[in-house]
Amino acid sequence: MLTKVNSVANYGLKAVDVDVEVNVAERGFPGFGIVGLSSKSAEEAKERIKTALINSDVEFPTAKITVNLAPADLPKDGSGYDLPIAVGILASIGEINLPKEKSYFYGELSLDGSLRHTKGIFLLAVLAKEQGVKSIFVPRLCANEACVIEGIKVFPVDNLRSLIRHLKGDKPIEPLAFINTDDVLGDIHPDFDFSEVLGQEMAKRALEIAAAGGHNIFLMGPPGSGKTMLSRAIPGILPDLTERESLEVTKIFSITGNIPAGGSLVRHRPFRSPHHTTSMVGLIGGGSIPHPGEVSMAHRGVLFLDEFPEFGRNSLEALRQPLEDGNVTISRSAGSISFPAQFMLVAAANPCPCGFLGDLKKECKCNVHQILNYQKKLSGPIMDRIDLHLNVPAVDVNKLMLDSNKSQGETSATVKIRVRKAREIQRSRFDKISGVHCNADMKNSHLKDFAKLSTEANLFLKQAVNKFSLSARTYFRLIKVARTIADLAEAEVISDKHVAEALQYRVRSE
Amino acid sequence: MHEWKKWPIKQQDKLFYRGEWNEELFKKTLVVVGSRRMTRYGREMVAKFMPDFVANEFTIISGFMYGVDTEAHRQCIEMGGKTIAVLGSGLNYLTTIDNDGLYTKILESGGLVISEYEPEFKATVWTFPQRNKIVARLATEGILVVEAGLKSGSLITARLGKEMNKAVYALPGPINSISSEGCNWLIKTGAAKIVTEIGDIIGGVVKQDKLFEIDLTNEENIIYQLLKAEPMTVDEIAKTMDRTVVDISSLITTMSMKNLVNEEMGKVYLAA
Repeated sequence: MLTKVNSVANYGLKAVDVDVEVNVAERGFPGFGIVGLSSKSAEEAKERIKTALINSDVEFPTAKITVNLAPADLPKDGSGYDLPIAVGILASIGEINLPKEKSYFYGELSLDGSLRHTKGIFLLAVLAKEQGVKSIFVPRLCANEACVIEGIKVFPVDNLRSLIRHLKGDKPIEPLAFINTDDVLGDIHPDFDFSEVLGQEMAKRALEIAAAGGHNIFLMGPPGSGKTMLSRAIPGILPDLTERESLEVTKIFSITGNIPAGGSLVRHRPFRSPHHTTSMVGLIGGGSIPHPGEVSMAHRGVLFLDEFPEFGRNSLEALRQPLEDGNVTISRSAGSISFPAQFMLVAAANPCPCGFLGDLKKECKCNVHQILNYQKKLSGPIMDRIDLHLNVPAVDVNKLMLDSNKSQGETSATVKIRVRKAREIQRSRFDKISGVHCNADMKNSHLKDFAKLSTEANLFLKQAVNKFSLSARTYFRLIKVARTIADLAEAEVISDKHVAEALQYRVRSE
Repeated sequence: MHEWKKWPIKQQDKLFYRGEWNEELFKKTLVVVGSRRMTRYGREMVAKFMPDFVANEFTIISGFMYGVDTEAHRQCIEMGGKTIAVLGSGLNYLTTIDNDGLYTKILESGGLVISEYEPEFKATVWTFPQRNKIVARLATEGILVVEAGLKSGSLITARLGKEMNKAVYALPGPINSISSEGCNWLIKTGAAKIVTEIGDIIGGVVKQDKLFEIDLTNEENIIYQLLKAEPMTVDEIAKTMDRTVVDISSLITTMSMKNLVNEEMGKVYLAA
């Protein structure tokens, strides 16, 4: 008998309708075959389904079972087809009745018949809403992902037995209640608070400016100066995720399986710190069935690249497009897919390969050529896209001890209020300009209108250009940073003081 | 590149050389040597003393290595002085690629590049100490060690100089700086005379510190006085003055535009 079960396939950041057709034929040699461009993991479903059914006290039919995943030309990956195929077999042998209304089934089976955490449930719910599908059956572990979508019934499935009872009408599964996004998004505590970082006031100020204007930032300093700790604190001073942003991030997290069991919407701005050996595909995204990379996982959050010069040249070059466009387009024979990638880049590096160049207490063990080679890697097109450059000196432990009983330093919440304010000013300023959301997005042509310098500031900047022999590019970047500093001070016109502070964060070439 | 090859190699007293041999060059010479791994302090000190050396018509002799050697040659030429580079290899073999331009500049400025080895001879571990012997022998006014570690070639030069009864001078450095350990040791053991000003080498009247004539605002003056004691980070200045880093940052920029301070690796220094 032929049964048709509805399920989905994920392609990029979109789910598409898939019909799972299961035919159990009494005639013919017994067997179990899946067709329809299924990948290895989908192919292996056969063994899982067979064992899971047997362990759920279902007599597995000795018959010719044919499964077709349609449309047959779309590649299907992942283990989520276990559940729809199992349901199809159960319906075909008359064990259960399929729900009358169109329902999606999706989830990976364990050999004991229980359902495992499965990727992409959130996308499935989004598609269900679009297609007017009223109910979905998904593993309980990730059912919360779907609950933030209003108007669909989410049936959390623990195992095959409870699903069989539900579909037979013996003991119905209670659908989960809708989760209001506002409830999830309010009240967020940062993982790392600014006040936990002792000292480094200047670095904190630089991060505040970066967060306020959406600028990318580069930190250089010896090991142990707190570069990583400072970077981790950035998500905490960025404005909270808006509902729209949170949905975008949740999509990416759902498809990569990064939402923990029981989690629903992503509330924290992502912080990603890929290791410097990460491949280009890992960083940018790709694969034969394109998969988002670290830049997309950091969407709306922070991408922290520690040991920046150690990253492969190719990987760094490939960062240029996402930095410029805010998305990554990956083209494969199957088609091209675009993943969003709007992130704040935080790059960190040691001053030399061993890290102790310029340190009085520890000897630098690098020779001159190593140092030159290392620093050569730090120039180039990527560095041109970083507005703030900062040296983070090592903190003297003795001085830390002295200060520890003094004031604690500002908390993330206090800084965040200023950042939010500055962002609001920018939002109203760039209201009518498409593609510009914050100062860092400004094109040079915008500076004339939006970044007005006072007469003194203009003169000061011109002098600085001569004194420090600044390039045209640095000149424009400086104005953008000065604009953000003025916004933080809620000043309309950029003053010479703002320019002077911005100059502290310029590129310092030897 | 390799413009210096236009100068022919000549020979004199068993020494190979490029440039114009002039006995005058060897009349009043000061050897300036030091660590390959020069710190900012070393560079500043070479820059501080060199104008006076050149004004006193010293010929500066050094070993053409990177670090202090290179800096001494370069600064000397910049001030319009004469300098002699003694190589630890043949005259056609460069131990440091970066010094290609400097080679030409030494010759153009009327200096000499000399070596006791055949032109194509490659440098080895033992040629450098051997070279130091020549360096030490050429010193008439003395040998100045700017920065040196405890196991450095500069200490060999100093010892050889001592054996030849030359005056040996050393610049003191911070006691926790590895690059100054050798110098401080020379001073401590009495092997070298301490140098804190040009008068220690040429003798004569000790000059007073220049007074500052640029307009300093009150705050700038406070920062200037603080930095006289030691280089500080912006954080430290802000804490000491009980001001925000925002204020201090812009003050530091203004001061560096006035050439009062400069910054490196996150620290603010008084301009040399």
